[in-house]
Amino acid sequence: MDKKLAVYICTGCGIGEALDVEALAKVATGEYKVPVCRTHPFLCGAEGVAMIKQDMEAEGVNALVIAACSMRVNYDVFNFEGAVVERVNLREQGIWSHPANDEDTQMLAEDSLRMGIVKARHMALPEPFQVEDLSRTVLVVGGGLAGLTAALDAARAGYKTVLVEKSEVLGGWVSRLYRQVGVNPPYSELEETDIARRVKEVEENPLITVYKGAQIEKISGAPGMFEATINHGGTQVTERVGAIVLATGAVAYDATKLAHLGFGQYANVITGEMLEEMAAKGSITRPSDGGPVNSVAFILCAGSRDKEHLPYCSTICCTESLKQALYIKEKNPEAKVYIFYKDMRAAGNYEFLYQRVQKEGVLFFRGEVVSIEEDEGKNLFVEFDDVLVGEKIRTEAVDLVVLATGMVPTTAIGERMTIKAETDEKGAQAEAPAEEIIRSNILNLEYRQGPEVPTLKYGFADSHFICFPYETRRTGIYAAGSVRAPMDIPTTIVDATGAALKAIQCIELTAKGSAVHPRVWDLSYPEFFMQRCTQCKRCTVECPFGAINEDEKANPLPNPTRCRRCGTCMGACPERIISFKNYSVPMIGDMVKAIEVPEEEEEKPRIVVFACENDAYPALDMAGLNRLTLSPWIRVIPVRCLGSLNLIWIADALSKGIDGILLLGCKHGEDYQCHFIKGSELASYRLSKISETLNRLALESDRVRMEQVSIMDYDRIPKIIEDFASRLEEIGPNPYKGF
Amino acid sequence: MISVNPHFAEKLKKFGAKTSYDCFGCGTCTAVCPLTSDENQFPRRFIRYIQLGMEDKIKHSLEPWLCYYCGDCQKNCPRQANPGELMMALRRYLTSVYDWTGLSRRLYTSMAWKIVSVALLFFGTLAVVYGFSGEMVTDRVELETFAPAHIVHPVGYVFGAVLAFLLLSNVYRMYRFVLGPYAGAIPLPVYLQELGTLIVHFATQARMRLCTDKSRWLKHFLLMSGYFVAFMLVNIDIVTRWSLTNEPPMWWHPGKLLWSYASIAMLYATTDAIIGRLRKKDPIHQYSHSTDWMFLILLWCTVFTGLLMRIFMELGLPLPTYHTFALHLAFTVPLLGLEVPFTKWSHLAYRPFALYFLRLKERALELQRPEGTAVGVQGAQG
Repeated sequence: MDKKLAVYICTGCGIGEALDVEALAKVATGEYKVPVCRTHPFLCGAEGVAMIKQDMEAEGVNALVIAACSMRVNYDVFNFEGAVVERVNLREQGIWSHPANDEDTQMLAEDSLRMGIVKARHMALPEPFQVEDLSRTVLVVGGGLAGLTAALDAARAGYKTVLVEKSEVLGGWVSRLYRQVGVNPPYSELEETDIARRVKEVEENPLITVYKGAQIEKISGAPGMFEATINHGGTQVTERVGAIVLATGAVAYDATKLAHLGFGQYANVITGEMLEEMAAKGSITRPSDGGPVNSVAFILCAGSRDKEHLPYCSTICCTESLKQALYIKEKNPEAKVYIFYKDMRAAGNYEFLYQRVQKEGVLFFRGEVVSIEEDEGKNLFVEFDDVLVGEKIRTEAVDLVVLATGMVPTTAIGERMTIKAETDEKGAQAEAPAEEIIRSNILNLEYRQGPEVPTLKYGFADSHFICFPYETRRTGIYAAGSVRAPMDIPTTIVDATGAALKAIQCIELTAKGSAVHPRVWDLSYPEFFMQRCTQCKRCTVECPFGAINEDEKANPLPNPTRCRRCGTCMGACPERIISFKNYSVPMIGDMVKAIEVPEEEEEKPRIVVFACENDAYPALDMAGLNRLTLSPWIRVIPVRCLGSLNLIWIADALSKGIDGILLLGCKHGEDYQCHFIKGSELASYRLSKISETLNRLALESDRVRMEQVSIMDYDRIPKIIEDFASRLEEIGPNPYKGF
Repeated sequence: MISVNPHFAEKLKKFGAKTSYDCFGCGTCTAVCPLTSDENQFPRRFIRYIQLGMEDKIKHSLEPWLCYYCGDCQKNCPRQANPGELMMALRRYLTSVYDWTGLSRRLYTSMAWKIVSVALLFFGTLAVVYGFSGEMVTDRVELETFAPAHIVHPVGYVFGAVLAFLLLSNVYRMYRFVLGPYAGAIPLPVYLQELGTLIVHFATQARMRLCTDKSRWLKHFLLMSGYFVAFMLVNIDIVTRWSLTNEPPMWWHPGKLLWSYASIAMLYATTDAIIGRLRKKDPIHQYSHSTDWMFLILLWCTVFTGLLMRIFMELGLPLPTYHTFALHLAFTVPLLGLEVPFTKWSHLAYRPFALYFLRLKERALELQRPEGTAVGVQGAQG
């Protein structure tokens, strides 16, 4: 691309009053010989935009450096087709967070402009990746409530859908329920489930192909071009699909592990699932002798919220047990029903159910079950430590004890395996802490990083994105229903719709060549300069999304439609052969080099801040918005993710005489907030390895610091920077200044 | 080990505890209650006792009497479980537990027993009055001629003695229930030292003033003082002869003045309570047990007929005077005979005695405890 640069400096919003705009313009026209440089008092107004368009037409400029407000605002206004646009933040991170008409503020603005011009020089227009023979079919795995709903919703939106169900019948867990908790006012009545209607609609829908009694043998490919091999009654079928909804649900926790509650030991101790079965058959009786049931004790949290069993809450056991209490009470109002709970969770409209069950005379007990005993007549007695009374209590003889067992996601069942990278001869070991994959035999992905989607700590196929539900850590695969998190019927229905829409969004964005969440506007993708690849496997192992496969010689085989464009591979590559059209290692390196570093005696230290675009950069903007004053020594460089941080940038900065480098990224670890899952964690890991480099340069490792910030931490930002600056002051100036 | 008795709550429904299962144990009632304390927690704990059917715990507890039913808990209950009313029901239940005759339980739980006993006493009294009455002088009011004092007074004292015996024997049972395990640990002087608590609370109901709504105490005090004054005036009539006499004193006679105060105070307080219970605006008036109505109606009729009789007397109307006097007695006998030892009015003894027993219990605990770890209950020390 032949580029002709133009710099536009906006003097509105107080920029013109606070800065020497003429001197700023001279940086562009003088130092960088930019052919077109204009100022405008209201650049984002119609007149300003028209001026830029006029230049594009008349002057042929196609690389625009807009020195005005943050890139996070007015991105729709400064969007010019066919032109590379780089935004220089003079407002939020310039005059709003630094004093007006100050020598240091002016130097900051000039450096920002230098970095912007250098960046624009490096940038090229992305050419979107195009999938050949893109499939718009949605594959839904699992034919329960979530799967049926997702399939129906995808089909209603006009997308062909393939539904794979393991068993011979559709309907899943919900079809085995006798009744469901009322979802209509007054929310306290038992209702029939509508699962039969959903099954019928799915089977009658011409856009939906159903494979029952089927199993996925393997899935290869990537979004827009997955190849799913389905074993269907012994015969193999291959379906080309664009995106996948994972809706395989959960199963009840294995009650045989609950011997302390008498299961397996006493005939009349059963699970909620077994009670449903009895209720559906029409008679609830004592399993020991088939006798009538006049008293029932429900034990909630049976094996749930228990470190020995399931440490988490499955959210529905409370309301399911309340519902089952009504099965008993509706048949026999005189029956004695006891509910033993740890905490009663009946949120939203379930409160009405809870109230009704209380009014029906069901007795509730909060505390811990001490023991369950049986007499010679097979009657059961529950001994319980009641919190409110503060004493141990004992029930009368009960006919039935029902254990409300929690949910175990289907993705949690299977052998646990760790995908490790072998260390190569040069000792270039993969840096990522290895990820655990559970071989649940559901998707059987042909991915370098394992056959199933990575799960959270309890085996749920989710990705801890508070903002992005349904999204697993494999692009194009969306989890819905209780495989993702424990959920009730109404939530599952909404969840399935959400995942179906996400699958459709993935297909459509892939068709455009765009990234799928969170960088949905991004048409760039990583390109590999394979001649220089050393097959070190860092990129294939570290990609948080398993986007890169390997051939047998360990050459990376990128799958651009699996990629989320975080640049983690770019940060990982020791040979620096991975780059994007508009984001590359030399680009950021040159931006660092563009910073003017004053002589030591001027006592103006310089700090490069690599700020994550997702949280840290907006936090810096918010600091400006709140007029918090930031240190004049900082020079902020936004990065897609700290995972894209290449250590060469740190070497570049330090050898240039920059005094310190601050990395601002998202929280990592168990409750990570990184938008790309492992990016900030990898950056911190890489940083731990940098002391070696620093020692080689005879520098203190304290010159590089990493801090975790969220968007809400804007008020902490000035102090974080100040603290770092004062530490640098203690260390003294970078000895490489002036070299 | 306590066994759950799910049938108890059912039994308690007849005493007015209809909402015990609505409680989900949040404890808001206890948090807002101005009278509960660390050592004596209610209402939540007691609702839980009802739910689990812990009869023994309830029977041995004083806490129901420490509640003065201000209704704060009721206003704040997120489940409309009416904690105050449940405490009220417990007091009714306890009254029936203390009563050894079994009549209390029948009056509380059976409508037939209520109607028959009231009717029996009402008509029985009328029969006795008219059967033993003297001549009805018609040219002037001669009350004593109609109702000879030498008959009325002794009968009245015998009646009073029977009632006192019944009530005090029930109080003794209460004492055995609530202080049974401590009784041996309390030296006799302590009983005497703490008598002040009993007297103060009997006379003033001072603890009620700790409730949020202070106006209730005043109304209750009007009623209580009116009753007390009237009771004393009737009792000293045998000496001063200001009332049951053919020669009534002038209007300024202290007996007459005090009596006027008593009648008006009681009439005001009962009328106010009746209107409140009909309107059901305040929490304390929303739920009326049949015995609450029985008490209010009998009391109101007694006071009203007494007042009417005085008016007829002042106007010099002989026959209306005699007949309203007969009616007055016919209301008074079931009021005192049924309410004081067996139902609602018994709380005039149980409440102050509860506070007295509580002090005794605290003293007993203090004696058992090492120095410097005092316990106390708000207002219990007067």
